[in-house]
Amino acid sequence: MTVASKFPKFFATPKGRVVAGLSLAGGVVGFSAGMLIGKLEKGGALSLETLGWSDILSGLIALMLIATGLMVLLVSFSRKASGRLLDPLSQRDATRAQASYYRQQGVVALLAGLMLSAPVLLLAAQDPPPFELAAAVMTGIVALFLLQTLVNLTLWFRSDELVRRVISETGAVTFWILQGALFLWAAGEKLSLLPALSLWDAVSLMMAAYLLISALVSGRRGLG
Amino acid sequence: MKNRLKVLRAERDWSQADLADRLEVSRQTVNALETGKYDPSLPLAFKIARLFDQSIETIFQDEA
Repeated sequence: MTVASKFPKFFATPKGRVVAGLSLAGGVVGFSAGMLIGKLEKGGALSLETLGWSDILSGLIALMLIATGLMVLLVSFSRKASGRLLDPLSQRDATRAQASYYRQQGVVALLAGLMLSAPVLLLAAQDPPPFELAAAVMTGIVALFLLQTLVNLTLWFRSDELVRRVISETGAVTFWILQGALFLWAAGEKLSLLPALSLWDAVSLMMAAYLLISALVSGRRGLG
Repeated sequence: MKNRLKVLRAERDWSQADLADRLEVSRQTVNALETGKYDPSLPLAFKIARLFDQSIETIFQDEA
């Protein structure tokens, strides 16, 4: 059997339908965001030329987190939709507790996306930003960070052991890969062989690595 | 590690979600256990053994 002949069968399964739906939603979100950014740039409200590669990377990650967070948040308000979309193999509606758990996951992703996008958006709007505006945005980020930490901790305690294992393994793998990669880069930078990385570059790389490794570990453990 | 969870569940005509409710874990966790993608913690293994009224070693077998 070829991959092509398996393809339609996959999309006939509940999981396949969800993948197709999410792919379509991703396309719509990506296209709409691209159009909006293009219009804002044309109107002079945003300037992407001054942004570095890590700003673009974190901006894309933020967009993905915001879109995912909003989608999960909206779906979580319907127990029927939660059951079908967030656990496609389950043949029943989500319980009240499950829907509220999904809602919390949506909030965590949304807050992470907002925090990650705020400095990039501010720089794209005004570079360098005035002190008062930068301080106000920073205060907002700290407030969101504290709120997200609280929601994240609550999620940890509400999760079962498989989710906790996936989170722990993702953290461990991300740490070991990044500590090696960043050490090697830092050594090269110290020896004037490599260009300097900013803290924002490192954070953007860490977020990208964490999300990628999280997807791989989740798939390997059967959470995908 | 191999296990007889799927067989034991089928004997009782329980869905994965039914078993998950009884074990207070998610359906995905039951699926991961059945497909061998995840080995349970000792407390969860004891809980499974108590639920099916069998010893841990009759449910879980080391593949080595």
